[in-house]
Amino acid sequence: MEAQDQIQLINDTINQTKEKIKESSFSFVFWGSLIAILSFFHYSFPEIVQQTYYSSLLYWVLIPVIGMIITVVYNIKKRVKVGYETYVGRTLKIIWGVFNISWILLIFISFEKKINPTESILFLLGVMILITGLLIRFKPFSFGGISVIICSILCVYTPNNSWLLLNGIAAVLGLLVPGIALYYRKSNV
Amino acid sequence: MFKPLNKILVNPIRLMIVSVLMKVENCDFNFLKQLTQTTQGNLSIQLKKLKECGYISIDKSFEKNYPKTNCKITQAGIKAFKDHFENLKEYQNLNLKQKS
Repeated sequence: MEAQDQIQLINDTINQTKEKIKESSFSFVFWGSLIAILSFFHYSFPEIVQQTYYSSLLYWVLIPVIGMIITVVYNIKKRVKVGYETYVGRTLKIIWGVFNISWILLIFISFEKKINPTESILFLLGVMILITGLLIRFKPFSFGGISVIICSILCVYTPNNSWLLLNGIAAVLGLLVPGIALYYRKSNV
Repeated sequence: MFKPLNKILVNPIRLMIVSVLMKVENCDFNFLKQLTQTTQGNLSIQLKKLKECGYISIDKSFEKNYPKTNCKITQAGIKAFKDHFENLKEYQNLNLKQKS
C-alpha cells in the first residue's frame, strides 16, 4: 500500500465514526416534557401533589427516578446498537451521570433543611446544559443553558408559589426546545 | 532521512482498527468487523497482534450470556499511530515532489 492510499484509508475509516449526538435528542425531549408536565401539574393542582408531607417529595423523586431508568435503558441499548463510544459521548455521559446524583442529593438536603430546592437544581441544570452546548458546539443548548440559569436567578426575586412555573418554563427553554432543535438538525453534530 | 514505516500498521486491517480507536474512546468487536469488512477469524488475529505490540487493550466480558469484546487504544498505540502518520505524510510529500 502506498503512503497516499494509507492516508486515504485513515480518512475514510475516521469518517465512518460520526458523533451521533443527534440520537441524544430523545433524552432531552423526554426530560423537557416530563419536567414541564410535572411542574405545570404541580403548579395547577397543588392540593393533589401536596396532600401529605411526603407526597410532593415522592412526586418529585419517584417519577423522575422512573424517567431516569427509562433513559438509562434507552442509552445502553443505543450504545450496544452503535458499537462504539466517542470521547464527547463519554464526557456527556459522565457529566449527566454526576448531575443525576447531585440532583437527588440536592432534593434530600433541601427536604431535610425544609427549603425549596428549585433554584439550586435549576442553576445546576443550567450549567450542565450550557456545558453540553459548548461541548457539542450547538448554540440552542448554550442559549437553553443560559435561559435556565436566568430562571434560577429569577427564583430569587419571585415568590415561592411561582417557582414551579419558572421550573416548567426552564424545562421547556432549556431541554425541550434544544432537544427538538437537535432532532431536526440536518447534520450530525 | 526517512524513517521506515511501522510494519504492524502497514497492514490495512490493523491500520483501520488503530485509526478508528484514535477517534473513539472504545468500540466493540462487531463494529470493527462491520467496519473492516473482514472475517471474524482474521479480525481476531489482527487484534491479537495489536495487543501483543501493546497498541490496544482488549476487554472481554459477557452481555446477556453473549461474549463481548471491547477494544481501546493505549498510549503506545497513540504514539505509534502519530509517528506512522507523520512518516506517511513525509513519504507523500516526497512522491508529490518527484512527480512535479
